[in-house]
Amino acid sequence: MLRHVTRKAAGWLLMIAVATNATYFLASWFLDPRSNYQGQRPVRSEAQIDLALAPYNLDPRVPVVHRWWDWVTSVVLRFDWGKSPTGVSVNGEIGYRSLVSAELVVIATVLSVVVGVALGVYTASRQYGWADRVSQAVSIVVFNIPASVIALAVVFVAIWLNQHAGLHFLYVAGENSPNVQGLLPTIGDRLLHLILPTLTLTLMGYVGYHLTQRSLLLDTLNADFVRTAQATGLTRAQAIRRHALRTALIPTATSVAFSVPAIFTGAIITETIFGWNGMGRYFVQTISKNDVHGTVATAAFAAALTAIGAILADIATVFLDPRVRVS
Amino acid sequence: MTLTTTRTDPAPPTGTDPVLSVRDLRISFPSEAGPVEAVRGVGFDLLPGRTLGIVGESGSGKSATALGIMGLLPPSATMSGEVLLGGRDLVGLGDRELSGVRGKSIGMVFQDPLSSLTPIHSVGRLLRDALRVHQNLTKQAAWEQAVELLDLVGIPDPRERARSFPHEFSGGMRQRVVIAMAIANRPSVLVADEPTTALDVTVQAQILDVLRLAQRETGAGLVLITHDLGVVAGYADDIAVMYAGRFVERAGVDELFRRPTMPYTARLLAAVPTVDSGVRRPLAAIGGEPPTPADLPPGCPFASRCAVALDACRAEEPALREVTGHGHVACLRAEEVADGTLDPAGPADRADEHPGPVRAGAGDVVLRVEDLVRTFPLTKGALLKRRVGTLHAVNGVSFELRAGETLGLVGESGSGKTTTLLEVLRLRRPESGRIEIAGTEVGTVQSAADVRELRQNVQIVMQDPLGALDPRLPVHQLLAEPLQAIGRGRDAIRTRIHELLTLVGLDASVGDRFPAALSGGQRQRIGIARALATEPKLLALDEPLSALDVSVQAGVINLLARLKRELGLAYLVVAHDLAVVRYISDRIAVMYLGHIVETGDTETLFSDPRHPYTRALLSAIPVPDPQRERTRERVVLRGELPSAARLPAGCAFVDRCPLYRLAGDDVRQRCRTERPAPRVVAGQPGHVYACHAA
Repeated sequence: MLRHVTRKAAGWLLMIAVATNATYFLASWFLDPRSNYQGQRPVRSEAQIDLALAPYNLDPRVPVVHRWWDWVTSVVLRFDWGKSPTGVSVNGEIGYRSLVSAELVVIATVLSVVVGVALGVYTASRQYGWADRVSQAVSIVVFNIPASVIALAVVFVAIWLNQHAGLHFLYVAGENSPNVQGLLPTIGDRLLHLILPTLTLTLMGYVGYHLTQRSLLLDTLNADFVRTAQATGLTRAQAIRRHALRTALIPTATSVAFSVPAIFTGAIITETIFGWNGMGRYFVQTISKNDVHGTVATAAFAAALTAIGAILADIATVFLDPRVRVS
Repeated sequence: MTLTTTRTDPAPPTGTDPVLSVRDLRISFPSEAGPVEAVRGVGFDLLPGRTLGIVGESGSGKSATALGIMGLLPPSATMSGEVLLGGRDLVGLGDRELSGVRGKSIGMVFQDPLSSLTPIHSVGRLLRDALRVHQNLTKQAAWEQAVELLDLVGIPDPRERARSFPHEFSGGMRQRVVIAMAIANRPSVLVADEPTTALDVTVQAQILDVLRLAQRETGAGLVLITHDLGVVAGYADDIAVMYAGRFVERAGVDELFRRPTMPYTARLLAAVPTVDSGVRRPLAAIGGEPPTPADLPPGCPFASRCAVALDACRAEEPALREVTGHGHVACLRAEEVADGTLDPAGPADRADEHPGPVRAGAGDVVLRVEDLVRTFPLTKGALLKRRVGTLHAVNGVSFELRAGETLGLVGESGSGKTTTLLEVLRLRRPESGRIEIAGTEVGTVQSAADVRELRQNVQIVMQDPLGALDPRLPVHQLLAEPLQAIGRGRDAIRTRIHELLTLVGLDASVGDRFPAALSGGQRQRIGIARALATEPKLLALDEPLSALDVSVQAGVINLLARLKRELGLAYLVVAHDLAVVRYISDRIAVMYLGHIVETGDTETLFSDPRHPYTRALLSAIPVPDPQRERTRERVVLRGELPSAARLPAGCAFVDRCPLYRLAGDDVRQRCRTERPAPRVVAGQPGHVYACHAA
């Protein structure tokens, strides 16, 4: 098992290296950091701008291969991912923002999976019953509402609740309140700020798991081996849980693991509406501000998450399907 | 509860209370056209240690009966009547109450062992869980019991194998595990739904023995559900014949087979191809098709197919009533049949008798196969595939087939018979050896046009007609397709389709229907018509009858015989059912692990089999006659077909050969080291076998 994971990890590491370097060249060709200085007053000359970019290893007059070599050595030797065209450290930004995103994404993902799979199981065992029909209708409606609309709707409902029900803990903006002191109050404050964005992300995320888990389970629900399990004396619910569900969970485990990077960098709209400085917004900002190093670092971050997701998927598959261990 | 019955002494029912009593069981399923009654008033008593065989064709409601007794029907089904298990009525109990009964008092063995075991649990764990549902055992103790159970059902090396997963077992071994699960908690009733249908005949005999052993161990009453009259003849004490959701005849096994009294039973028995020694009796097909449960006629459901039906039969459905000295029969004319004054086959029906395969003289050689070899590489590794072995699927097979002749290739699954067929159909140069079709050597044909020309001469009929016909094309388009492919004109196609439908005995009106709207027999006829469209010389038939019911099968057998006679076709038939092969083949080649071990004329081979494998294969087939079935000597092979990846250096059959175990040392030596050469039987030209010991 360990050998298998190590081998997989080595493969993914190679993949990450290739993807990151390819992104570096693409970003260097297509993003023009000079444009950040062009709108400034007083107007600077080309040479002045290039000179200003030089300390950040972004001087366009230096050949791209040369700049790449400097960047690569600094990443490999010092794990320094460079600076933005305005001199902000990429490491600092990503370090802070990935934690903010993690807060948001991990809880929302866990909730989406739990809610989605539970609903899938509940409705699959009651196929065509009213609970199945109602929840499926709700899921399909939610699935078709754009993320921004869901987020705004959540915000409006929260404001209405705050005003009419006299609640004061539903924060609609920011990651934390200023002037909170001490460890426990800080954690509590952060958790309260998490409620609404997490709710939004869960609403957007659970539908996929509900619908796929429902159809996956329906495939195995009427399998002969479930009937055999019932014939040994299990109730239908027990037979489904112990025999059908575990088989049907294998594809879901894989898809959860692979969706992690997408959620990390894809929660842009939620982050924007709730005023969170997460990875999603950073990704958009770096591109729009021609931040070569920030873009590349974000790409590397996503690649690393994909690799972790894939390895987690492998581990989950082995855990769920013991046949893999045999062969 | 410890009463056991042996096979030679099935009769004495000691006055025990029945373990299972079913009274007026009715099961219906909802459908778009309203509720469909699948089971319409079934009732029986089962005594401990006794076996009730329920025989019926597909759609007769026998599986629904089994699931109804177990309480495993889908929630949409409705059930009424009484299922009394030890005095307690199971009908109407909830899932929780039923789960206390299932597995503890009733065990069930399912049809398809490949899909009835959870793939992600080891068999030891499956058994352990089955034990722990009803018994308060520690995991360790349950595991020990699981190992003992595996040993009981004949899994070699049970301690080691308990850790294996279902996919590491063969079909027969998996069915043993399913039986072990069914008897884990020593139930008083066992229900087996087609327990051997998915298995090879040689394995079927082993599984029936295991089932018998399991029944003896537990003293349980057994409900054995099957479509195979041969299986129940040797196994059951009482037999109930089901038709259209009801028992139409219920009697002791001897009475039933001695004089089947319901015309349906009688005709069914006459339609079963048999292999027992003696002359081949003619197969009398039952005309028509079994009725669909959704659309039952008033009166006796068999009346439309019955040769001796009266007007009264069509008016009201006869009830199951006792006929003295026989049993219970649901037929108005049961007394007449029972005392022998009425022949249930009818007076005039003998005209349709199957004349037997008539050899159309020595025609031209249509297919010649010489030393055909086909291997498959066995690879390992995900990214870099490395070859770890070779699977010898077909190993030096030679035969010849002439126009107007049928060659049957028989053997267990994995013997290479289908691969041989596919090699012939592939129309490419074989790996080694030669294939010659209608005088043209396959390997020499290069251009696509020539290959297409050759293709016209060879056509195939598939096993499952529902899977082989595109469900979205109507019949006339299905038949037009091969004709369009060879570039026939529109008018020519229309006349040819009409010809084809007449040829296979179908009405022109089926042309507009889709395959789903046809019955199984009609579909297979369309499959045959489609194969005949391009006027081939050679028809390859891959298990052409195994998907059909017995009563329909006989009609297709007769059709094949007529087509061969009229069109001078050559058939290459692959089948696992030796009884069927006997009725359609002129010659038979028995295959084992890619080798032809014996070949000869059908009747010579059946009356005087030489190779020990042929003998075992023939004796494994149950005979639908309880007396002979009980007394005849059987050769039950040990084990199952080994993998073709590791062929023994000598005879391929050596590991399972009963003669090898009896042979002297010098012969054994040759069996192990020297591949036996084909030998001709003296005085029987064409009868060749390959064995050192026989």
